[in-house]
Amino acid sequence: MDSKIFSYIDPSPPAPADGGALSGKRAAVQSSISVKGWPTEAGSRALEGFIALEDATVVERLRAAGAILAGNTHTGELGFGLAGDTASQALKNGLVDVTLMTDTLGEGRVAAASAGVFGFKPSYGRVSRFGLVGLVPSMDCCSILGKSLDDLAAFLEAVEGHDDRDPSMGDTPLEAFRMGRGSSPGSERSSLSAGVVVQSLESLNAGGRKVFEEALRRVEKAGIALREVQCEDFDLFRIVHNVIGSVEASSSCGKFDGVRYGHCAAGAKNWNEMYLRSRGESFGRVLKAYLFQGAYFQFENYPAFERACSLRAKLAQAGRKWLDGVDMMILPTRCAAAHDRPAETVEQVYDIFPLTLPANVTGQPALTLPGFLPTSAGDLGLQLVGPAGGDRLLLEAAGRLYPRTEEAR
Amino acid sequence: MTTDHEAVIGLEIHVQLNCPTKMFCDCPNRAGDEPNQNTCPICLWLPGNLPRFSREALEKATLACLALNCDIQKESAFDQKVYYYPDLPKGYQLSQFHHPLAKNGWLNITDADGGTKKIRIQKIHMEEDVARLVHEKEGRTSVSLVDFNRAGAPLVEIVTQPDVRTPHQAMEFLRCLRSQLRYSGSSDCSMEQGTMRVDANVSLRPRGSDQMNTKVEIKNMNSIRHVGDAIAYEITRQANSLKAGEPIVLHTRLWDPDNRVTTAMRGKFEGPCVPDPSVPRIVVDDAWLEEMRRALPEMPDKKAARFMEQYGLTAEEASMMSAERELSEYFEAVVEHKTSPRLAAQWISGQLLPLLKERNAVLPESAVTPECFAGLLLMLAREEINANAAKEVLKRLQESGDTPEEIVAQCGFRQVSEAGELEALVDRVLAENPSAVENFRKGASKAMGFLMGQAMQASGGKANPRLLKEIMTRKLQ
Repeated sequence: MDSKIFSYIDPSPPAPADGGALSGKRAAVQSSISVKGWPTEAGSRALEGFIALEDATVVERLRAAGAILAGNTHTGELGFGLAGDTASQALKNGLVDVTLMTDTLGEGRVAAASAGVFGFKPSYGRVSRFGLVGLVPSMDCCSILGKSLDDLAAFLEAVEGHDDRDPSMGDTPLEAFRMGRGSSPGSERSSLSAGVVVQSLESLNAGGRKVFEEALRRVEKAGIALREVQCEDFDLFRIVHNVIGSVEASSSCGKFDGVRYGHCAAGAKNWNEMYLRSRGESFGRVLKAYLFQGAYFQFENYPAFERACSLRAKLAQAGRKWLDGVDMMILPTRCAAAHDRPAETVEQVYDIFPLTLPANVTGQPALTLPGFLPTSAGDLGLQLVGPAGGDRLLLEAAGRLYPRTEEAR
Repeated sequence: MTTDHEAVIGLEIHVQLNCPTKMFCDCPNRAGDEPNQNTCPICLWLPGNLPRFSREALEKATLACLALNCDIQKESAFDQKVYYYPDLPKGYQLSQFHHPLAKNGWLNITDADGGTKKIRIQKIHMEEDVARLVHEKEGRTSVSLVDFNRAGAPLVEIVTQPDVRTPHQAMEFLRCLRSQLRYSGSSDCSMEQGTMRVDANVSLRPRGSDQMNTKVEIKNMNSIRHVGDAIAYEITRQANSLKAGEPIVLHTRLWDPDNRVTTAMRGKFEGPCVPDPSVPRIVVDDAWLEEMRRALPEMPDKKAARFMEQYGLTAEEASMMSAERELSEYFEAVVEHKTSPRLAAQWISGQLLPLLKERNAVLPESAVTPECFAGLLLMLAREEINANAAKEVLKRLQESGDTPEEIVAQCGFRQVSEAGELEALVDRVLAENPSAVENFRKGASKAMGFLMGQAMQASGGKANPRLLKEIMTRKLQ
């Protein structure tokens, strides 16, 4: 295995649990997902040398289901953006069957789309955040990347469900989520419909639009009825995510003081100077800009933050309205913008995720599918966004889009 | 203070709830342990951990709010109070800023003139305590050590309206608040132990005006008496400043109990408060609230009224016997043994409590059980012992584990009420003190007291004073 792909490789993986649903499946997790005894540095000097004391709930459940945990993949700093991320490469190179990533802006889906694999962000609150070194608690989610829909469904089933250690999961019983693929026979929906997000097409160039139109025809052919949906405030998702995300990130990073773990600057004269220098030396440029921005809204422009919060509530409402009469929304996962060069500013990071971050803002489930949108800039990924809790519906709909033979069942 | 100004005082009181665990994790909420023993990845805020709100903290906080006559809010939520300081391992404190647990409370206090004054409570919110900093010297270097045992301990902060006008009112309010909260069983409220911490905001304004002037916050008072002293000092200090034409500046001052002055500390920093995304909103329903109301014990006011009605206590006795929950329970346990309620109240407040205070003991652990105490009072009522002997027995009860009957028998405290014995005693005393008898007969009534004293002494303190006086009076005529 390649150390360029793995930041840590388990030298002696424990024997997998017998007879589990994931028996024999190989998995990797980002270094922002805690594995007991493994370095969990989340791509940041602020966590330099930090060894997790406990398994994240998702890790514990993967192991219990018989998966073999191969190692940690590299991640962007604290999972923000995709700079240095290697999760999808581990899949592409056949090193693992599934990888888990933290998803704040849509990192999991964009990485999956670029690599030509499936990427799934569950509904917020469906998968425990315990053990995830998060950045934006109200939007962070553990996403699942895999080469087949069956793997995605099996891994989702293994990790989902209530966890006492994540207070933001709510009390929705898992049964309420059980519809569509993976549920009992006979419960499958006979007809499915999807709303095409008209505004999302603005980010595509002419070539991109053409392949998207073609993809829509394939979708219709698979028996999913389409209709256009006007999402007037689509642009607001980005602004709302940027303001709220940076504020939450600023708070979340308050714990990184270099005292109990992580990089601590030498030679400071007092604790205040020690904090300032340790944090100054720990965080990368883009993250630092993000944290400054969050602190600005916290300390200097709180009304703007409050406005963003009320807009977020309106957007969540709008999101539900758009789903009136259709089962899901359909849009590309990424636009053709040049995002191979590393983002150097917060705005450049956001430029990569305008089509995925709405699902993080609203907490809806979203799935990116490979093979529908091939362009000169690579696969753009076809994205399905369902109603909160409609995770299995998305997996079922996706199943209809692939002839059975294409899938290694 | 000049008579043309009045003080406007608001109090902020932090009260530590006596829950067994911290507010967001299962660590023991216990003071006095070795530093950093009661910690876990949650209260140390290690990466990947999430706060888990304690239902018990909500229940205790709700009881506290109900005991202070507040409206519990149907929905409340936690915010992050952002500031960077070594006592806060995550850079923010979880506190309810935008949506507090309760609003609109009040307590009635007795003012210096005996009248009733209502002090309104603006709001009560829950928050977690921060770590304790210990500043020491290692050689010549100053070091600050952090003890996380207290980090995450459950607190409520009670914020009053600026209704307090005098140090006396502030102290009365705090006594009343402490009594209510102890009653509710939600906190020990010890200023000495730091489970109750009081800050006061003080400003002055011309009498009769309703303007709100710049306030000064005072901190670091560790008894109710100190709160009164610090406020009194601060009122005088501000009045002198005004007289000298100096402006009052918003800042925080620390009470220095040794020198009995307040001294300025650095300017006050107010961090922002942003909603916490991880702790769910707290939504309570009517049924749960009703359950909490039922869990609240009979509070002092009601209890005092009942004591007057049921036991015929005077207002003062009833208020005394109901001031503390444990005391009131003790009183009722004593009365249950068919003692006279008024005698019980008088002997508890006049003899038992002073004795315990003198011995540095507390009621619940005292060897003087309600049963013992009742036995003592019954012997007194039956005139088997006199009051002097009863006081002596009480002291010994507190020291030994014996019953009052045993102590009376062992020490020969049984009262002499046998008429023949007393008559002989009186005869002897009168014979030994002819001049006093003479004086009495000439009209010096004081001589009676002397003769009674002599007779009581001759009996070894055991004579029944009522009978003794009867016989003495008869013989002297």
